[in-house]
Formats: sequence, structure tokens, C-alpha cells
Amino acid sequence: MSKDRLEIPDYNSLFSEHRFVEQRLNKQQFEAPCSEQETAEALAYSQSAEYMEKNFNRKAVVINPHKACQPLGSIMAALGFEKTLPFVHGSQGCNSYFRSHLSRHFKEPTPAVSSSMTEDAAVFGGMSNLIDGLENSIALYKPEMVAVCTTCMAEVIGDDLSSFIGNARNKGVISGDFPVAFCNTPSFVGSHISGYDAMMKGILSYLYERSGLEAAPGSGEETGEKLNVMLGFEPYTGNFAEISKILQAFDTKYTLLGDHSGNYDSPATGEYEYYYGGTRLADVPLAANALGTLSLQKYTLKKTQDYITGTWKQQVTALSTPLGITGTDKLLEAISGLTGLPLPASLLEERGRVVDALTDSHPYLHGKRVALVGDPDLLIGLIGFCLEVGMEPVHIVCSNGDVEFDNVKFKEEAEALLATSPYGSEAAVYVGNDLWHMRSLLLNDPVDLAIGSSHLKFAAKDASVPLIRVGFPIFDRHHMHRYPILGYQGALNLLSLIVNTVLDELDRNNSGFNYDLVR
Amino acid sequence: MDPVRKVDFDSEACGSQAPKSKPCPRPKPGEAAGGCSFDGAQITLLPIMDAAHLVHGPIACAGNSWESRGTLSSGPSLSQYGFATDLNDSDIIFGGEKKLKESIDYIAGRFAPPAIFVYSTCVTALIGEDMDAVCKEAGDRLGIPVVPVNSPGFVGSKNLGNRLAGDALLQYVIGTGDPEPEIPLGVNLIGEYNIAGEMWDIEKLMNSAGISVTSRITGDARYKEITWAHHAKVNMVVCSRALLGLAREMEAKYGIPFFEGSFYGAKETTYSLRQMAYLMNDREMERRVDRLTEREESRLAQDLRPYRKMLKGKKAVLYTGGVKSWSVISALKELGVQVVGVGTNKSTEDDVRRIADRVGDDTEYIPEGGASRILKTVRERKADIMIAGGRNMYVAMKEQIPFIDINQERHKAYAGYEGLLRLAKELTYSLANPVWRLAASPAPWDKGVPYDR
Repeated sequence: MSKDRLEIPDYNSLFSEHRFVEQRLNKQQFEAPCSEQETAEALAYSQSAEYMEKNFNRKAVVINPHKACQPLGSIMAALGFEKTLPFVHGSQGCNSYFRSHLSRHFKEPTPAVSSSMTEDAAVFGGMSNLIDGLENSIALYKPEMVAVCTTCMAEVIGDDLSSFIGNARNKGVISGDFPVAFCNTPSFVGSHISGYDAMMKGILSYLYERSGLEAAPGSGEETGEKLNVMLGFEPYTGNFAEISKILQAFDTKYTLLGDHSGNYDSPATGEYEYYYGGTRLADVPLAANALGTLSLQKYTLKKTQDYITGTWKQQVTALSTPLGITGTDKLLEAISGLTGLPLPASLLEERGRVVDALTDSHPYLHGKRVALVGDPDLLIGLIGFCLEVGMEPVHIVCSNGDVEFDNVKFKEEAEALLATSPYGSEAAVYVGNDLWHMRSLLLNDPVDLAIGSSHLKFAAKDASVPLIRVGFPIFDRHHMHRYPILGYQGALNLLSLIVNTVLDELDRNNSGFNYDLVR
Repeated sequence: MDPVRKVDFDSEACGSQAPKSKPCPRPKPGEAAGGCSFDGAQITLLPIMDAAHLVHGPIACAGNSWESRGTLSSGPSLSQYGFATDLNDSDIIFGGEKKLKESIDYIAGRFAPPAIFVYSTCVTALIGEDMDAVCKEAGDRLGIPVVPVNSPGFVGSKNLGNRLAGDALLQYVIGTGDPEPEIPLGVNLIGEYNIAGEMWDIEKLMNSAGISVTSRITGDARYKEITWAHHAKVNMVVCSRALLGLAREMEAKYGIPFFEGSFYGAKETTYSLRQMAYLMNDREMERRVDRLTEREESRLAQDLRPYRKMLKGKKAVLYTGGVKSWSVISALKELGVQVVGVGTNKSTEDDVRRIADRVGDDTEYIPEGGASRILKTVRERKADIMIAGGRNMYVAMKEQIPFIDINQERHKAYAGYEGLLRLAKELTYSLANPVWRLAASPAPWDKGVPYDR
């Protein structure tokens, strides 16, 4: 606005002005009495190998965790279904964290309610909260299904969701046929991905059982249920469009089980609705008739996969997030294997174009040492991508490695994958560790690039490593989630993100004589 | 406006809904409600920047919340670390006290903080962890204060958590230290959290009038300065809903007079500065404040002129918490913006009274949340802009309503005279951005719809 009479800086520049700097220096008298030398020594020690060892021996405290809890994943799963209201049974603050967390990542509203349990509920149980909550939320938000998950509190006092929901029906608060799916998701077990799994399985089994249908694998081929596809805890709305594009290229019939891209990528039309898109509820029982199910996050969706093989008697092909050329090749083979359809020419052409792009950029990626942080399935995908372009994964940290979550298998798979390439020879996989561990790793054994969520930015800054934001949550960059990272197109997006960061760094750090125009 | 110091404590802090037996109203099941008491307690204490804040509970209470408040630090950053004991299911059965003790020891050994705040969560409260005993034992052994904050999520709302944090400060921190003799005594700022650096603007103003800040409770605070808060001459309660109780207790215990004030808008800022000088009982200071405020107000009036022209007659719906519900109204009125709807769900009775003093009869009160309720008001009252917090921001975007963020995630400081100028600029920018014209107009091939709504 050129008419501005005054320059009004925001805090990024305002508080760097002399008067504020002085004010802050004056404040140091209140701080713990530490000399500058002591501070510098402590900082240096925290960056030393000696401290790294101490840090890795730390048993009791978690510092800067890289995971959220089960109900957060449950909410995402619930929003993958048509007109479904996520309902968190427990004390209300959890729900408010979940809504903020998801909204900050997707830059979209998150409809979710809580049963707001308080001390009375702690003593007498949360039944009346759940019943009142169902009544109020259905009246207020008019969902077609409610998906209830629990918090720690409800779990510790042992609330029984199934009987409480039954009682709500008996009392006439909800009608007999109004669907209320549910699952148990204490956050002292698992993480956001196991919560996603629990709710996904909860919804599939609930809708299937109440339909009274009998699973007949393959019988749906003619009626449109040929293939089921699950993306899992998917922080990229762009990935839904990309997988649909790939499936359409195959010309196969398919059902996406859990599609929250509508809710997290809805248009600004001038009118906000609570629910956008999602898998149609009626499609869920029919999905039991499909030829098979393709799961794109095999660690995340473990229980759901077991359910589908067990109860629906379907063939399940489970992959980790299909990143890069090799990852996408596996995806195409899996689709072809499940449907019996040939590989579409359009995708093969696309593959060729992306391979071309990779060859164009490979000189800048070769030998780049990389640190990776993420959820298991994403990490497998990223490791694969790094190896195929000659980047060297060095430190791989997965906070999400609870014992109950088959960490051994993930670690084994990651290590086996790394062993397939000389570029993986320096890598170490840390399961159940946090970002404070990662900080020690970055400082003691430096890398060129870090790839992970926004939470990694603090450690990356301490170690002066550029951070490429991939995964969940990404709070401090806009629209990353709108670009797919899976499929060939996703490989191209990942490639551009990474190679252009490398080139930016070259320009930023160059000494002048090599400030090249052409790269 | 007189300093408020009457009626009973509970209804004062919680409004007319306060049930007899409980300090704050209960949340209603089945709504998309706000934060919990744990959240509230953490929010109040996290701005103590050099302290370590350890969450005793399962991972996610910290995992979902660490480093997500825009409360700025001028130095130490320990408060930004996410510390958690990460209880798992076997800890739930066998107890997590050992883990807590070891965590405290580790933090003390590695980070040498001046104090450690330990927060209970739903789980540790339910399984009956004796946090107070562990904290006391560790504090005695380590020689630093280890402060238990007993505010598990389920005890109630965020506001109750703010108060419980205030109780922890009173019980364990305030009164335990004395300032160096050369530190001038003045005003404690209570309930100012230095979001987007607002506290720095306020402090600069106070210093220009010769008023010194004794303790910041807690925006950009250092632990040590809070230990001597009881030496202050005046308490100013910046956010009344959160920590009014703390000010009351300090008045009773240490005889420190307090008042509730705000720094949103020139009038409120001037009032607050005057009130400080008046309660300090210092004629010379009062004269200095008068000179400062006159100078700043007239300079501001000059600077605001182009913005006032653009903002005059615009209508806003304000949906925010506590003190901002009324204080921002004053700021908006000074800019010529009419508030046609205002959220009251987190306001005290006095806040509501102050809202009523500042708005016309036709302003709609929005007592409880839910996006649709706010949107209904915006539509019915034909508001031009919505002023609210992050969780409602994206709803506004869907509805193509110009929006500014006034809560914890904002990156603009709106306090004081310069803050009002910044608010004017942000309002103008938000209203005038060409993207609204684009959003509201149909695609060129959709004929028959007028270009402007």
C-alpha cells in the first residue's frame, strides 16, 4: 500500500532495532547467573561426542518428541468418511490440541468434538458425558456417522464404549440405526499412526458388520468394487489425487478406503460446510467384495490389513509409501498383480520423463549425506528414493518405534534396504529416539541435508543443516501438502524440492568466483 | 473505570455460570470445545523462558503441544524444548514416579535450569502419582526449585488451568527471592505473555514514563524475577480471566494494590499507564505519564488518519478469549470500526459488563463456539471482517471473509500506541487485499452474476 505514511515493521525486524536490543540486554540481570564463557562451554559440550554418548544413554526423559498420539490419527481416519464427525471421548483439551495440530498442517478447519470429561467422570465414569455428547453433537453438527475414539483418561478409568453407545441407543438419544463407529486409542500406547489404524479398522468392521453382508471376495468386480486402496495416515492431500490418477490410468474400478483429501483440501466457495468428500458409507460393506486391497502404509495399517485378510478373506498387498521410481514401480506392479491389468502406456511415458529429470539432476545429489526423520512407512519410501539418486542416508530417526508397534520389523526392513546399496553403508537407524538425539547426531557427524517435519527445524538450525520439509507436521511452510510426493509425479516433486534446496545452498554459500548462471 | 475488587472470587473469575461447588463452568459434552486445564497451566508458565517445563504423562500431551505458542523470548530458549516422561502402559500399572525422578535429574544435570516446572496430566492424576513428593525430594536434593503444577486436563477448562498455574506460582515461587538492591521496584505485569513481542512494546512505553517492570508474569520472564514479585508496588492484570486470583491473593498477602487494564487501543493504554502512576502514588510519575500519553496520542492521531479514512464504518465480528473481548473493541472503535458481534464464551462477568459499556445495543453476543454460530453472525450482520484465533481462521477463508488473527499464533504486536497503528494497517490490508475481489467474483464464463457481492 503505497499510501503508507509510516514503515511499520513486524516483529521480525521491529524487535531487532537498537532500542529493543538494549532493553533485552538490560534484562540479562534477571537470568541465571552464568558467565558468557560458561554458556559457551556448556553449548560446546552439548555438541561433543562425549555428550552424545550420554544423550544416547538417557532412559527417563523424552526431549523434543517426533510423534503425536493415537486419537489424533483417529480423527484423520474418521474424516476420511462421508459426513462423519470425529468424537473424542475424554477430557476436552486433547481434542483442542488435535484440531489445532491438524489445522496448522493442512491450513483447513478440523471438525471434531469432545465429550469433555471432568473430575466427576473420573470418579463415576464417562457414560453420561458420552451420551450427552452424542446427543449434543448430532444435534449441532448433523453428521451421518459419529466416530468415537478414546483418550488416556477414558482408558485409565476403563470406560466401555460399546456398552455406553448401546445405552445411548436404549435411552433413545440416538436412533437404533444411526451409525456410531468406535475404537480404543489410549496415547500411552502407540502413536498417531496406530490411532489411524485403530479407527480405520473400527469403521470398516463396524459398517461391514451392521450391513449384514457376507464378504464375497471378487464378486464385486462387476459392480464396481474391484480394488480397495488405503493410503493410511496421509499428510499429503495431493497424494490422493495422484493415486486416483494412477488407478484411472489402469482403468480399474476402485474404492479409496479413507479419503480425507476432501476435508483437507476443500474450495473456498463462500460457504463453509462441516464435511467435504470422504468414502461413502455405503461403499464400505461392498468393499468386502473386492478382488483385493492395496495398502500404501503397511506399518501404519497393520491391524486393518489383518482384518481385511482375516474377515474379508481378501488378498492384501501392503507397500510402504511409494516414493521414487522404484517405489512407484512396485506400486504399479502391485496394482497390476491385484487386478490383472497391464501397465498403462501413459504411466510408462511419465516414468521415462521423470527418469530423465533424475538424470538431469543427479550430479548435484550424488554423495549428499542426508538425515531423515519420519514415520516408518515414509522413511522406507525416503530411504529408497535417496538410494536411487545416489544420496547417502546417514542418520535415520523414527520416534514412532514403540515395542508394541513391531519396531524390530521396521528397523530390519530399513537396514535390509540400506544394505542393498553402497550408498546406504554409513546409515544407522534409530527407533524410539527423539529429536534431541538427532541433534547430537547432526552435530557430531555432519550431513548436507536434513529431511523431516517442521519439528526438526530446531536441531537443523543448531547444526546449520538445510531442512527439506517432508512428512507431518509441516506448520511453517504453506501448501507443501497439496503437492503429491507419491507416484512418478511425486518423485519429480521430491526431486525438485531436494535439488533446488541444494542449488539454493550453493548460491547462498558460494564465495563469489563460482556464482554460476547455468547449473 | 475503577479498579475491580469486589464480590466473591469464583464468580469474579468465571462469570455467572460458575457453579457453587466448582471454580469454573464445566465444558459441555459434544462441542468442539477449547483447551483443557493442563493446556491453560502450561500456557501460563511456558513464557518463563529459562525454566525447564516437563510434562509428566504419556507422550502426546507434550508431543501435540511443544513449541506451538508464539510467546517470544529475548534470550533463553529452554522453555521451547518439549520435555516429557513418556509414560507407557506398564508405567500406568506400576507407576511413573521413578521415571519422573530420573527425568528431573537428567534435565537438572544437562540443562542446569534455574527451576523445573513439572505438569501433571490426566493419566498421572488418575493413577495417583505423588508428584508433589517427588518434586520436593528432587528439589531438596538438587538445590533448585522443582515446582509441581497440579492441573490435569480433566479438572476443567483452560481458564481453570491458568488459575491453577497462578496458584503454583503463589505457593512455590513468589516470595522466595529478593531483588538486587539496585533494581528499581515498580509494576508486575500479570497475564501478559509476550505474544509476537507485545510485552516489549509495553515495557518500552512504561520505561519512557519512568515506570519499571518488577516481574513479568510471565511474558519473556526469567524464573528469578518472579521470585521477587512480592516486592512490586503495583500489580497490573493484563488478562483478567487468567490470573485475577493471583493479583487478589497478592493484595491480601503482600498488600500490593492491583488493577485490570489493557494495552489494546490508545485510550486503554493511556488509562493503564495513568493507573500505574496513580497507584504508585508518585506525582512526578503521573506528570511524566501525562506528557508521554499526550505526545503519543497526538502523534498516533496524525499517523492513523489515512487508515481511519479507509476503516470508517466497517463492521467486524470479534471472536476471541478473555480480556481481548472488550479491550479490542476499544481499539477498533478508535479506528472507526463497528463491532457487530462479539464472543463472550471466555469472558468474566466484568468482561461482559465492559463489553456492554463499549458496544451498541444491536451488537450480538456469541456465547459459545462452533464455526457455524460465528459465521451466522457474520452473515446476518453483514460484517466486513472477522477477528479471531487460529482454529477459526480457515473457516473464514472458506467463507471468503477477510480475517485477522488476534490470538496466540499472530505475528503482529497490537499493544500500545504503535500496536494500534499496526492493527489499523493489518485491518486495511486484510480488507483491501485484491484476493477477496477474486474470490467473490464468478469465473468469466459464469454470466449473470454481478461482479461484486
